[in-house]
Amino acid sequence: MSKKPTAGPALHKVIMVGSGGVGKSALTLQFMYDEFVEDYEPTKADSYRKKVVLDGEEVQIDILDTAGQEDYAAIRDNYFRSGEGFLCVFSITDDESFQATQEFREQILRVKNDESIPFLLVGNKCDLNDKRKVPLNECQVRAQQWSVPYVETSAKTRENVDKVFFDLMREIRSRKTEDSKATSGRAKDRCKKRRLKCTLL
Amino acid sequence: MFYKNYAVRTDLQAALASASCHNSMDFDSPEEKEFPGLYASEAVDAKSKKSKEESDFSEGDHDKHSKKDLLIGRRKDKKEKGKDRGYAALEGESSPEEELDTKSPSKSKKSKTFKFTSSKSKEKREKSRDKEKEPKGPEEDPVHKTKDKEKDKEKERHHDDKDHKKKDKERKEKDKKDKSDKKDKKDKKSKQAQQEDSIGEEEVLALGYPIFGVSISLATERSRCHDGIDLPLVVRDCIDYLQQEQSLKCDHIYKVEPIKTRLMHYKRLYNNREYDASVDELNIPTACSLLKLFLRELPEPVLTTDLVARFEEVASHPKVTEQQAELQQLLEQLPKCNRTLLAWVILHFDAVIQQERYNKLNAQSLAMLLSPTLQMSHRLMVALLCHCANLFPDVKLIKYVPPLTSASPGLPDTPEDIQTELRKQDSLLTQIHSEMNAGFISKKREEQLWEVQRIITQLKRKLRSCEKKQEKSIDELEVTTSVTSTQPAAQQAVPPTVPTANINEDTVDSMSAPSQMNTSEHQPDEPNAPATPPPNPVEYTIDKQTGYLLLPKTNPQRDELLRLQMEYDELIIWQNELKARILAERNEMFRLKQLYEQEAQKPQAAPQTSQEQLPAEADYERIIEHYTRENALLEHKKKMLGKELKAERRACIALQVELRMQHF
Repeated sequence: MSKKPTAGPALHKVIMVGSGGVGKSALTLQFMYDEFVEDYEPTKADSYRKKVVLDGEEVQIDILDTAGQEDYAAIRDNYFRSGEGFLCVFSITDDESFQATQEFREQILRVKNDESIPFLLVGNKCDLNDKRKVPLNECQVRAQQWSVPYVETSAKTRENVDKVFFDLMREIRSRKTEDSKATSGRAKDRCKKRRLKCTLL
Repeated sequence: MFYKNYAVRTDLQAALASASCHNSMDFDSPEEKEFPGLYASEAVDAKSKKSKEESDFSEGDHDKHSKKDLLIGRRKDKKEKGKDRGYAALEGESSPEEELDTKSPSKSKKSKTFKFTSSKSKEKREKSRDKEKEPKGPEEDPVHKTKDKEKDKEKERHHDDKDHKKKDKERKEKDKKDKSDKKDKKDKKSKQAQQEDSIGEEEVLALGYPIFGVSISLATERSRCHDGIDLPLVVRDCIDYLQQEQSLKCDHIYKVEPIKTRLMHYKRLYNNREYDASVDELNIPTACSLLKLFLRELPEPVLTTDLVARFEEVASHPKVTEQQAELQQLLEQLPKCNRTLLAWVILHFDAVIQQERYNKLNAQSLAMLLSPTLQMSHRLMVALLCHCANLFPDVKLIKYVPPLTSASPGLPDTPEDIQTELRKQDSLLTQIHSEMNAGFISKKREEQLWEVQRIITQLKRKLRSCEKKQEKSIDELEVTTSVTSTQPAAQQAVPPTVPTANINEDTVDSMSAPSQMNTSEHQPDEPNAPATPPPNPVEYTIDKQTGYLLLPKTNPQRDELLRLQMEYDELIIWQNELKARILAERNEMFRLKQLYEQEAQKPQAAPQTSQEQLPAEADYERIIEHYTRENALLEHKKKMLGKELKAERRACIALQVELRMQHF
């Protein structure tokens, strides 16, 4: 689980969640292959692996792109359980998708049972600012409530695409280092400490 | 009679008790802890099943019932006692200790496990079932127990191997001596004398879902072959291994016993789904014995409890031809997975005896060796072997190629292979999900889930790009030629014009072409058509104008035939149009290429481009980006339009046909 420099590059597992059509796959594909796919094809589940250089260190990122549709909720838990960090995506042009993030957050916390799991709230489609339905401050307020960072992205223009993935990987990485340091007895302290830190952020 | 049963039960329970106690001490399977409810449902099932059975049998249990509840909490000491007794107890004895023992809380359910199926009356209830696979704790026991019993009962009807009995006893004695040494493999046996049986062995099962000792359907479901053949993987692997020529020809096949620990090692690997062909290669004795072990541990004979007697009846049928038909009929009544398993096993055995020259096994001797394992008579097995080619004509023993893993060298290349692989991976993924949903979760499993998902994603991407290549092949050529002309203006200009041109052509075609080409197309057919009619017994006429064959009005297929002919014509016309267009476009491509070459030679071309480049670098890049995107978009729109056109053309043809039907 923790990174072992001897045994190949560290592997960080990222899961994309959010309602259907908000651009999870678009963000993933833009990050993976620098391509933007216009046509919409619902995802059931897709998984990708990529080698990247994170702050000078070579690491691997596994991205699991999940289905937004409720139809696939049954298999979602299996994936959530193995995720180390989450990008919770909504579309700034669709208020419902924003409301749905609440539910995704809850589902993740239920499965991971950890308030401080690496997590980013991502408002996608920021190139369509003229069609914005979700006010910026509302997003920020929610992020603050959850003590998570909020970032706006555009899969189309690639704005902040790398940023969200790299920010999340950094969180996962620091989380892992903490974990490996923390002895099992201090596990609870660590959780608290971690939470405090987040609120400061 | 009743006492006898009773004693057996208590013995078994004693054995179980020590097993579960042992387990809980030695193995703390994490699954069990994390998902405590997991096995509960199974236990409940078993319980409800049992409670039914119990009603037939309540007299005997009566006593225990009343006391059962009082005795909670005394499990541990009872267990030790029970255990001692387990091997020492005499038939028919039901001492107070045993009684107490049966009531320990963990076993209160089990006390009902007795299953009396068809032959309730003749009770030689000698049960000895090895308690392998139980690291999961007490709740699951009842299930196995029930099954085991059934199985044993079946076995009684057939011949049991004597040597097993011997071994059994030996082991029992040994057990007694070192029961304190818990690490030792332990066979939990009740000791009713006439027990055959087997290789009980306590195993560390990482997951609570064994492959051995469960029904065929369950075993198949739990360890699928992902290529659509419903066999448990272990059976498939063994048969695959033994079907190799050098195995079939080896005179050790089905004769030599493997090293026991090795056999158990493989059993454990399969039970834990850890078998990896590249790491642990089978050998002939192990493969034979593993297959036999699987068959022997089935809770029900392959031929099923219900049908086995009827099979036996048929096998004694004097007329060979009728025998085959009747066997066929019975085989059809078997559950599908039983039939598949039987077919594979029998066909494999048949392949073995085909090599009699080398392995010295013929139908008779092989049946001698293996009919007990299959829980059928020698005669029946010989009959099946003799008819197998006709009984299972549709079954071919195909070597299993497991789904790719990330360690595999590469993905398949042709769309068909990709599709096949995708189906396998999907099947594998479904299995992983269902196992995980059932609570079988480990780090390794999660890794595998991601890996399979990743392979599926890659396969899908590859398939999509293959499809795109095919779809576009022609149009694409044109686009690429224009793209090579590098000037952004040209890039943008050419692709859009192509689709519009196509659209025009298409729409025009579908309006006008059919009527004109129609007649010309069919003129040449006419002379041929009249030549064929005479020999044909069906009466029909030929329409002079169109050359269509016309059936008499009374014939119900008249319309159908007419419609098909018309549709055929229309499609031929369409084909010709498309061919003509391809030709035209090839010419156009050639023309454009020439034009481009000419342009390239002219020096004036340069100033034009430099004008375009006047804006600053960044602007220039943005323009290129803009056009690339626009182009992609247009390309996509074009594709959609093409699809629409195709659909519309089809509709047109249908209408046209209907319209012309009116004339007849």
